[in-house]
Amino acid sequence: MNQKLNREQLAEGVFFSSVRDDKFRHNSISVNFIVPLEEETASCTAVIPFLLRRGSKSCPDFTRLEQALCNLYGAALSSDVTRSGEYQILSSSITFVDDQYTLNEEKISGQCAKLLGDMVLEPNITDGAFPQEDFQLERQNLIDTIEAEINEKRTYAINQCMALMNEGTPLAISKYGTVEQARKLTSQMAASRYAQIVDTARVEIMFVGCGDPTLAKEQFRQLWQKQQRHPRLYTPSPAVERASQVKEGKKEMEIAQSKMVLGFRTGSIQGRQERTAMKLMSALYGGTPFSRLFIHVREKLSLCYYCAARFDAATGIMMVDIGLEKDNKEQAKDEILRQLSLVSQGDFDGEELENTKLAYINSLKSVGDSLAAIESWYLMQILWYEQPASPEEDVEAVRAITREQVIKAAGQVTLDTVYFLTSKEDSHE
Amino acid sequence: MNNKIIASQALRQQYTKVEHPSGLTILLCPMEGFSTAYALFAAKIGSIDTTFKTQKEDDFVTVPAGIAHFLEHKMFESEDGDAFAKYAKTGASANAYTSFDRTAYLFSCTDNFRQSMQVLMELVTHPYFTQQTVEKEQGIIGQEIRMYDDSPDWRAMFNLLEALYQENPVRLDIAGTTESIAQIDADLLYRCYHTFYNLNNMVLAVAGNFDPKDVLELADEILKPGEDITIQWRKPEEPREVCTHLAEQSLPVSVPMFQIGFKGNAGNSLENLKKQVLCEILLEIICGESSPLYRELYDSGLINSTFSYEVLGGRDYLVSMYGGESRDPGQVYEKICLEVNHLRDEGIDPEAFERCRKAAYGRYIGMYCKSESVAGLMVLTHFSGMENMYDLLQLVQDLTLEDLNYCLLDDFSPEYSAVSIIHPVEQKDEAEG
Repeated sequence: MNQKLNREQLAEGVFFSSVRDDKFRHNSISVNFIVPLEEETASCTAVIPFLLRRGSKSCPDFTRLEQALCNLYGAALSSDVTRSGEYQILSSSITFVDDQYTLNEEKISGQCAKLLGDMVLEPNITDGAFPQEDFQLERQNLIDTIEAEINEKRTYAINQCMALMNEGTPLAISKYGTVEQARKLTSQMAASRYAQIVDTARVEIMFVGCGDPTLAKEQFRQLWQKQQRHPRLYTPSPAVERASQVKEGKKEMEIAQSKMVLGFRTGSIQGRQERTAMKLMSALYGGTPFSRLFIHVREKLSLCYYCAARFDAATGIMMVDIGLEKDNKEQAKDEILRQLSLVSQGDFDGEELENTKLAYINSLKSVGDSLAAIESWYLMQILWYEQPASPEEDVEAVRAITREQVIKAAGQVTLDTVYFLTSKEDSHE
Repeated sequence: MNNKIIASQALRQQYTKVEHPSGLTILLCPMEGFSTAYALFAAKIGSIDTTFKTQKEDDFVTVPAGIAHFLEHKMFESEDGDAFAKYAKTGASANAYTSFDRTAYLFSCTDNFRQSMQVLMELVTHPYFTQQTVEKEQGIIGQEIRMYDDSPDWRAMFNLLEALYQENPVRLDIAGTTESIAQIDADLLYRCYHTFYNLNNMVLAVAGNFDPKDVLELADEILKPGEDITIQWRKPEEPREVCTHLAEQSLPVSVPMFQIGFKGNAGNSLENLKKQVLCEILLEIICGESSPLYRELYDSGLINSTFSYEVLGGRDYLVSMYGGESRDPGQVYEKICLEVNHLRDEGIDPEAFERCRKAAYGRYIGMYCKSESVAGLMVLTHFSGMENMYDLLQLVQDLTLEDLNYCLLDDFSPEYSAVSIIHPVEQKDEAEG
């Protein structure tokens, strides 16, 4: 595999990065506007990708746009909002078959890049507002999306734990903002927020695929040259290192299975070595089907179907979540904490560590086989680290981690919040 | 050993089909430039296989719902330990799944392919069940069932299948129920294993970064020729009529969720695989994002971006479905049925057909590009009786408007359709007053 990251500045605060690999048959281009997640603007920012997706100045009709995409061999145009730590990311992308694989080698790459460019930089804004009907619909859709968070109980419980754990900080803010905020939005506010984002956001354009990125790069360069930009610098706050006391949250709902989420702080993590050690510790503790949590909580105690740990380097938070019978809550919690304590005491052997390294390395080496994984990998590297590393460089970092570093990482972990989503007391099961 | 090379010029790809002396069909598709290898060892047994017999038995046996899935969980254990512990030594990421009509064991890896393949082959050929381990699994699977009980998407789909089908076991939840899995014991698991996990009823498909020699050498070493068992399934006596046009349930959701399904005129696996391609294109034409009806429903706030479609097809079942959220699912259902009737009367617009066929072509090409989906396609086409996995892409290329109009009349009839609605709990309570 020979996937080199090429990175170039197109305008003030606008970068174009590309990774080319001829084993693929598709290309994917994404434009990512990165802004700080702030309470006042979260909902207003979140409605924008959905408004952009309705159509651009050159193609304001949604149905005609969809029909054009069908004719481009089902090119997938999408626009959404995601988050990473304290950043809110407005992300628009197009994935399409490369020209070599169309019927009769029809050329479609240029048109696909143009559709994306028009969508993000030539939106359907007239007199400082998006079309009123589109706006009303998309605001309602945003409200529905926020309210639909309760539909998936596992994600809902994790988000609730995250919010309780980080009350009063940007990490507690949902990537979609709140219903109250969304209700107050107007079409003018959305258009003005859009202009502000184009002016001030950090912009990362990613091209991954088998095709030549030059054409797309030049198209985007031209589009951006029309903009006078004033990028706003933002430094996320440092992670909270330790929990002071354990917070507890609980909610009752008419559900069959209870969900428990434990949120942990992971101490002061400096540099790639320490970060990798924490990831490896988290995998050994609860990230594989031979991890502590899987073997002890699921297989030995038969308490659950899933019980897993995940460490997020962007927030310095490790989450453990489990779906269980409510009467088993204390037993499960005790075992989850006991296993963490055992890891921090060094109660694991060399083989366990080696096996976890193999699994981790396997996932790193798999990144290069998927357009989406490559794109997400490099976007996160660019966003969080001064020197973007390739997955292969991280493989070397994993190999170098010692047993002592894993023990030290586990020792830094403190329990901050326990959130419990459970069935109503009076409901029969 | 009989080897056959199957190639596609359009995709610049090829794979080899090997008829191994053990009775197993092995499909091998090395893919240049990829780091991962993806292996699928699949048995033709899924949740619909509840009543069957072999040529040696006189009577059909009916087993508890969810047994194929239970068996899948238990295959990971053997006398010398858990398969996950063995995979742990290779670094492979391993898993398994059970669907309506098959069970598959899989791994993906970037290194130590041969060792992982050995674990996989030993796993599927060495059953080991005891009463104690069966009981332990009842606790774990019980929690898996509970988890799905709370999933509104899952419930909406199974309520729809229950509404559409009267007899076909596709209406049963894949994992069964807490009650049905309580009836499973070691003897029943062995009976299912010995019926369905014979190598003539299985397939091994590998795609990506690997050396075919490793697979074939290990197959010679590990896979022993077994008796060729002929399995007979009791064909469900499924009428065309649905049970009910409306299924409802209340769960904690924010706005109502729905699944609308058209019960197709199901044929055998091969016919249904071909029909799936046609039904997918029809779903796009009727109410996909490029259709006027989608626009009408979206602009009137009846659907949102969660709206999507899919086709479910296998032995003796075929359902074309739309799902999403709506404040008025009944109206969405009504409007879709009206459009179906309209198209059945007027025929499909040739331009819409061309456009959607082109989009489908692009989508299908995507399936031949990842080791994971290539292995999946090889298994799917083999089990469906399609000689060559590239025939599927050719099928899309060769489609005609007549094929599509015929499918519309045959498989999309509002008379044989239903809607399944998940209401928000509070709203329903209030309505009940």
